[in-house]
Amino acid sequence: MGFRTRQIHAGVTPDPTTGSILTPIYQSTTYVQPSVDEYLSKGYTYSRSGNPTVKALELKLADLEGGIDCACFGTGMSAVLATMLAFLEAGAHAIVSDVAYGGTYRLSTKILSRFGVDYTFADTSNPDDVAASVRENTKLILTETPANPTMKCSDIAAISDIARKVRAVHAVDNTFLTPYYQLPLELGADVSIHSTTKYMDGHNATVGGAVISKSEEHAAAVRFIQNSTGTIMSPQVAWLTLQGCKTLSVRMDAQSASAMAIAEFLEAHPKVEQVAYPGLTSFAQHELSSRQASGFGAMLWFEVKGGVSAGKRLMDNVELWTLAENLGSVESLITHPVTMTHADVEPAERARVGIIDGLVRASVGLEDTDDLIAALAAALEQV
Amino acid sequence: MYFDVNGKQVFATTGGKPFDNGKPAVIFLHGSGLDHTFWGLHSRFFAFRNYAVLVPDLPGHTHSDGPALTSIEAMADWLDDIVVALDARNVSLVAHSQGCLTALEFASRYPERVRTVSFVASGLATPVNKVLLDAAENDPEAAVAMMLGWGFGSAGQLHQGPIPGNSMVAGGRTVMRGNTPTALVTDLKACNAYGNGRQAAAKITCPVQVIVAGKDRMAPAKATAELIEHLNNPVVAVIAQSGHMLPQEAPDQCRSLLKTFIFSNNPAT
Amino acid sequence: MSRFLNFDTLSLHAGQTVDAEHGARATPIYQTTSYVFPDTDTASSIFNLERGGHAYSRITNPTVGVLEQRIAALEDGSAAVCTSSGMAATFCAITAILGQGDHIVASTQMYGGNISLMKNTLPRFGITTTFVDPTDIDGFRTAIQANTKLIYGELIGNPGLDILDLEAIAKIGADHHVPFMVDATFNTPYLCRCFDYGANMTIHSVTKWMGGHGAAIGGVVVDGGNFDWGATDKYPTITEPYAPFSGINLWEEFGPSAFATRIRAEAMRDIGPSMSPMNAFLLLQGIETLSLRMDRHLSNTMALLDYLSNHKQVSWVNHPSLPSHSSHDLARKYLPKGAGSIISFGVEGGREAGKAFIENVELASHLANVGDAKTLIIHPATTTHSRIDAAALSAAGITEDMVRLSVGLEDVADITADFDNGFRAARQLAKQ
Repeated sequence: MGFRTRQIHAGVTPDPTTGSILTPIYQSTTYVQPSVDEYLSKGYTYSRSGNPTVKALELKLADLEGGIDCACFGTGMSAVLATMLAFLEAGAHAIVSDVAYGGTYRLSTKILSRFGVDYTFADTSNPDDVAASVRENTKLILTETPANPTMKCSDIAAISDIARKVRAVHAVDNTFLTPYYQLPLELGADVSIHSTTKYMDGHNATVGGAVISKSEEHAAAVRFIQNSTGTIMSPQVAWLTLQGCKTLSVRMDAQSASAMAIAEFLEAHPKVEQVAYPGLTSFAQHELSSRQASGFGAMLWFEVKGGVSAGKRLMDNVELWTLAENLGSVESLITHPVTMTHADVEPAERARVGIIDGLVRASVGLEDTDDLIAALAAALEQV
Repeated sequence: MYFDVNGKQVFATTGGKPFDNGKPAVIFLHGSGLDHTFWGLHSRFFAFRNYAVLVPDLPGHTHSDGPALTSIEAMADWLDDIVVALDARNVSLVAHSQGCLTALEFASRYPERVRTVSFVASGLATPVNKVLLDAAENDPEAAVAMMLGWGFGSAGQLHQGPIPGNSMVAGGRTVMRGNTPTALVTDLKACNAYGNGRQAAAKITCPVQVIVAGKDRMAPAKATAELIEHLNNPVVAVIAQSGHMLPQEAPDQCRSLLKTFIFSNNPAT
Repeated sequence: MSRFLNFDTLSLHAGQTVDAEHGARATPIYQTTSYVFPDTDTASSIFNLERGGHAYSRITNPTVGVLEQRIAALEDGSAAVCTSSGMAATFCAITAILGQGDHIVASTQMYGGNISLMKNTLPRFGITTTFVDPTDIDGFRTAIQANTKLIYGELIGNPGLDILDLEAIAKIGADHHVPFMVDATFNTPYLCRCFDYGANMTIHSVTKWMGGHGAAIGGVVVDGGNFDWGATDKYPTITEPYAPFSGINLWEEFGPSAFATRIRAEAMRDIGPSMSPMNAFLLLQGIETLSLRMDRHLSNTMALLDYLSNHKQVSWVNHPSLPSHSSHDLARKYLPKGAGSIISFGVEGGREAGKAFIENVELASHLANVGDAKTLIIHPATTTHSRIDAAALSAAGITEDMVRLSVGLEDVADITADFDNGFRAARQLAKQ
């Protein structure tokens, strides 16, 4: 069945007792067992190990990503952490996109490094750089494509080939494009990671994460971490995310179309120095983006002429666009990564990977395109 | 509706549709101290499926004129008077508890009137515990508590019920309290005195069905086994998780069993 | 379980059937609009009231249903219907049996919303009310007219805290074939089960003590199942065929839950003031600790009565637990555990002193609600009743120095320490 059908129906069956068309919110810690001998016969014991509402979302996301199993987490970061804990140990080595989300960078350098995990931050937009970073003990390659906020893309198939040769797990953070536009597992990756906070929820209502695995073995490893560390998703969050998922494709199409129009507007604007959006032919990896994804998403960045001070003036004056940290919601948001999302990344590292000081990140929402462009035009007037 | 039987007013519900004696009849009989509301869901089901439905209140219960009848045999005769008065034809009897004793006696005395009998939660006899008999005479509130306490399984005691917002145990309590002044004790004495079950059962020739409550504390398994043993080829089904008040505790399963049995043996057009 | 379960057990378990598919111990939140029918026969069975079940969440919802059955169990009623607010419950309960040309006899000491409904709104639809002082039993009897179809009151009156003599009023109702409805919000079934004394239905704002945490708005109508609707022809909505349901006669078919069924079949279907499943879940959580909270509300109330009665700056204290209260004997009869946790008292120095007191307490929240877990306080003369003069205030039973207190669950020593600050400010004001 098609994506639009599956985003609505996958994982959800009417409640057998009442017929309730939506999965109930099982806000329950524990489950009554019919007898000692039938322990676990209904599949649930304790909500850290499994919850029927969360399970419905997990089934849906596994279906949409084309995986064998999905494990949901309290946040996108705990999904990344679970992936690292599942496939790494002391003495192991991981290759991470040098342009990964600031939180992933912080988790690697400040936390897991304390437990003896070794990291290389490679330019995953260049598969050769990944191949060159591989060591004997490389167990995990984590790419984020398009990357946050640089929009740099990584060739999922090529990196999966490298991973396969060295028997490392290739995990792809698919938050920006979602399975509607990009299917990392089909392209050869082993694991797909999401911050469901973004497009899956889509309404700025919840924080959550998910890890979708292609093989039983990987799925079991992630599930083990989910249950052992307990970084689980709550039933309320799962229920709201289930509702959000039903309009995922509709929102992605509309927001992406708006993003394209806005990128074109900005590119043509005399006060704009540069724009990065994979849908623009000027985008360096436009060909790769077109090849491995069926859409370009709704994230872009641009630099206003005049650098940081001009960018700040724009962000302080723009109406309709909200200055806030999230992305992927129906509300359009604008962010200054250097002071907000990527402040924890060393300035030298930021410069190296292309997070320039004047970079303004835009998450295009579901408002009328004309209104969004008019608001940017008015703000650019004041720069 | 109200109608006259032997100069006294009898009340019966008809399941939300007028009683039409051109259709096969389903007559529901309630148990000790209860009334027509006990069979609400089931009576409406058959009324809406082209049966003429009747759920009478026994004399002296809720809306029917008293006094309460003092023997099962008298109840069987009274039931026949109703059948004659309304010219009910092709009667399927559906009886619960004490009503089953009346059904045994009626079906053996007036076999020509009956097409099927469904016995729900009953034995061949219903000897009544002396403590309960004393309570019914001297402390009716305690008797109600005992009967509903033993009658409803744990689901009933937890105020569950198939109709959203309705507590079946509280509804039953309200009905029984209304019937305590004389009806309850008279009913229990009649049950206790009835000893003709074995002979009556043997005389019944129409198709019969026995629905057993697995957790019945008022019609114990031994008494039910005797009923099954003495009936001719009964269709037997057990609802394992239900207590004595099976039609209310497990209405969906009970309806399904009654439907299969009555639809095939006494079909409506 | 071979006997009736007790209050605390029922407040935890009643109404819940552990979900069969997963065994979830907590009641699932059925946040859904509608329900898939396995086949058309089941669908029509539900619509014909032949089968319990759910069709659409405006009318019934499994989570709300658990709350309804739990409250019915605690009240010892035969059925309950939850609504979106306490006022919706009152409105639905009244309009289920009354129509144009009908009449209510009601107590004067009631929540302002109830008074406004009967004084301003219902008359627009031809329903009139005679208000009677709750202590005037003969007044209730003489106010009954040929078209009177309801007697209505609050067990613990507002604001005078006079106690309604339930048995006496219920007898008047029974003598005239008029049902007696009690707003039991202030007492909850833990302090008094009104059906034991002849009331025929209760309503609650479950927003208050029942829910207990100020988290959700909700109401409930409970059918006592003990009114003989068929004894007269005055209640055709219950005893005459109801056309929308194939002419069903609710009184014949549903007996003790006929009244609740009428509300379900009519008000919930045609008007639709439904409670949300999320609110029902939060309120169920609240009810789990109802008796624990009420005991603490009452012990804190007694401690504060002691504190206030012995305070030099308190000119008077009003609570039915005090022997000086005119309803003290009725309170002992109907509310033996305690007469609720609302206290009113006067601050020496009148309107300005009362205002200074309120403005200088910090822990007690200054707002108009009652029945929260937190202590709430208000000065009616400068807030809810600020626009009326002294004479009108006095007619409403409100004095200028009056402070109304809804006693919460805090450590009572912290409440009294907070009040010390309020009294200090009132004292300083007097010195100036």
